[in-house]
Amino acid sequence: MEVVATPPRTPLWRNVRFRRVLGQVLFMVLVLFLVREVSFNLQFNTAARRQGLGFGFLDSQAGFAISDTPIEYSSTNPVSRAFQVGFWNTIRVAGLGIVLTTILGLLLGIARLSPNWLVRKLSQGYVDLIRNTPVAVQVVFWWSAIFLALPRIQESVSIFDVAYVSNRSTVLPWFRLEEGGGIWMLSLAAGLLGAALLWRWRSHVNERTGEPHHRVLWSTSALLAVAALGFFVSGTPMEADVPDLLGRNYLGGVRLSSEFAALLIALVIYTAAFIAEIVRGSIQAISRGQHEAAEALGLRRGQQLRFVILPQALRIAIPAINSQYLNLMKNSSLGVLIGFYELTRVSKSIITGRGNNLQVLLMTMGVYLAISLTISLFMNLINRAVTTRGVR
Amino acid sequence: MKRPASEEGYELTLGEPEGPAAQVAPEAVPATPGEWVRKNLFSSFWSGMLTVVTALLAAWILAKAIGFVFVDADWSVLKANLRVYMVGRFPLEEMWRVWTDVYVIALLAGLSRGVQPAMPWTLRRVVRWALILGVAVAVLLYLVESSRVLIMLAAAVALMVAGAAIGRRLGRVLRKPLIFAWILAFPFVVILLRGFGGVKPENWGGFLLNVIVAVVAIFVSFPIGLLLALGRRSTLPVVRTFSVGFIEFIRGVPLVTLLIFGVFAFELLLPPGLRLPNIVLAMIMFVVFSSAYVAEIVRGGLQGVPEGQYEASRALGLRYPRMMRSIVLPQALRNTIPSMISHFISLFKDTSLLVGVGLFSDLLSNAGRATRDLAFVGLEAEALLPAAFMFWAVAYAMARWSQRVEKRVGVGER
Repeated sequence: MEVVATPPRTPLWRNVRFRRVLGQVLFMVLVLFLVREVSFNLQFNTAARRQGLGFGFLDSQAGFAISDTPIEYSSTNPVSRAFQVGFWNTIRVAGLGIVLTTILGLLLGIARLSPNWLVRKLSQGYVDLIRNTPVAVQVVFWWSAIFLALPRIQESVSIFDVAYVSNRSTVLPWFRLEEGGGIWMLSLAAGLLGAALLWRWRSHVNERTGEPHHRVLWSTSALLAVAALGFFVSGTPMEADVPDLLGRNYLGGVRLSSEFAALLIALVIYTAAFIAEIVRGSIQAISRGQHEAAEALGLRRGQQLRFVILPQALRIAIPAINSQYLNLMKNSSLGVLIGFYELTRVSKSIITGRGNNLQVLLMTMGVYLAISLTISLFMNLINRAVTTRGVR
Repeated sequence: MKRPASEEGYELTLGEPEGPAAQVAPEAVPATPGEWVRKNLFSSFWSGMLTVVTALLAAWILAKAIGFVFVDADWSVLKANLRVYMVGRFPLEEMWRVWTDVYVIALLAGLSRGVQPAMPWTLRRVVRWALILGVAVAVLLYLVESSRVLIMLAAAVALMVAGAAIGRRLGRVLRKPLIFAWILAFPFVVILLRGFGGVKPENWGGFLLNVIVAVVAIFVSFPIGLLLALGRRSTLPVVRTFSVGFIEFIRGVPLVTLLIFGVFAFELLLPPGLRLPNIVLAMIMFVVFSSAYVAEIVRGGLQGVPEGQYEASRALGLRYPRMMRSIVLPQALRNTIPSMISHFISLFKDTSLLVGVGLFSDLLSNAGRATRDLAFVGLEAEALLPAAFMFWAVAYAMARWSQRVEKRVGVGER
């Protein structure tokens, strides 16, 4: 058999590298062609409707009122200010929602694994009911069937005279910083720092000598001591701010509008069902051998969970929980259904009758994207901290 | 060698086969009701307290719910709006189109059920089905006043049962044809509503609209999502960047915002003169949204295919399209079935977001509008709960079904 010393040159059209480049160039041409078409359409359409493509409208007067504003705002403020109000409202709902839903979801997830039959079944019932009902329906339900059905403000329901509920808003008691509050805050910060240092020192002692560390005892007592000292030195810097009903208004306390409360409650309840499932799934995913090994080491049930099961379960759970946080943040756009002025509701108000639809909506989407990325980044940091801890 | 006490018992039963079986499998002994209660509800003081507190809570919720449904609630708003809830403004004289669709789906569903291995009729299952059917019949008799509609519904159920019987008789022969029948059925269902002098999409409404939007979205988005997933895993940087950018952008943005974009801004990007109905624009956005998620599901499936499969097919000299079609995708897609079903469930639930645009007559919008009628003011709960229940019932049934499919497909077991 004759061996061919020099193989025939591969024709260009069968050269892998050439084909790869050609494929990508063709793809680029297609995309660029589409972009050209779209931009042509855009120019033609906006010209025909006498709409601009600039962002000058951001400085024009907003012209619509917002009932629940975390920052100061009136309808004579520019559009950009209204946009900021929407941003902070979204952050407010998402931030508070993430904290509350984590707590509720964790409790429900642990309840799903409880040895108590009734607790287990009730938790499962909750998950089955809430998870399979659209969140939009739940938001509308909380708003129109529950919060709007509450009595008017004049006939507010009083809860032990410290909190009031009416169809317009809910007021809860809160704290108020008095004179000297700043000094007390400083002493609190110092106390926290001291507690953290004590914690590290005790851990270190424990690792080196094997003495019991009593970290919790040491740090909390140090923190409490500093806080109490600061409290008396600065002369009662904080007082309870109990709301009061005066005619048709509330005085003092912290006020939650019904739209905000309805959206927050619905989102927390909905997302918690998903988090409960993640918690259950990730604890169950830890193999039986780990339970048995922990048992064999003589760890108590609480210790087994804390040192063996949860650290491993967290690694499985965090990516899934991250996507639930993102869902909660994105679902805050359901404020549009009940008149809560978060980003989407605000942008809908801006485009009404103004005709800058494209710019406004692209801007809104960009902001959502940025918030999503920030949450993901944060969760990735936590994930890294959790997965590298204990790996030496 | 000394063994722990618990293992000595084990050895004992091995040595003496006539020893009590309970020692081998202590859990297998059926507990008396008293023992069961003690073990599951009152195993310790705190467990007992928990049981009492949650039992009281559950009883209170149950009492409230029953009191509301049977005593306090005024269901007149539902009775008066039943048609609006189901089909919105769909013209009465064209309703045969909807009924035909229902029959086609009922027959196919029956056949598919019949083809599957039958589940034994345990006492539990009999009781469960008797309850479901009993409640359904009672509710329908209470709500539906037209006997024609009741007869049509009964016919649909009969068709489904007949389909199941036929499916059982013919068995596995039907499997392949049934898959094709389902794939053809979905376009047929939509075309029958619109085509042949049918009803314009603007007049579709109620639950029908929600179902159609979900079906259209999943069907059209599947091929797009598949291409995006392949693009994301492609070795061509330009294609990959484009796919990643598209997928991540869509997944980072709320669907409500996308829908508002679709209805209020997307038309600016389309060729001048091309005017699409709002609901079609919304459907396009659903497709765009869904395709990003489908892409991620398919990508998950692709990642589950071992590298060796790619190498083996390259070694056989298969080119990329052939490798994907014959080797990789069949394995990858099989693994995605459960996630696909749960994506479809959440897509179906997400169709309720049409209400965010404020221009449609989907189920939730119609339920919200029902209480604007002066006769029904203040009946928000009565108007919304049936809508919630309809979504819940379909989503829950599909979720249960998907759990069964998951077991049958046996993801990760082959």
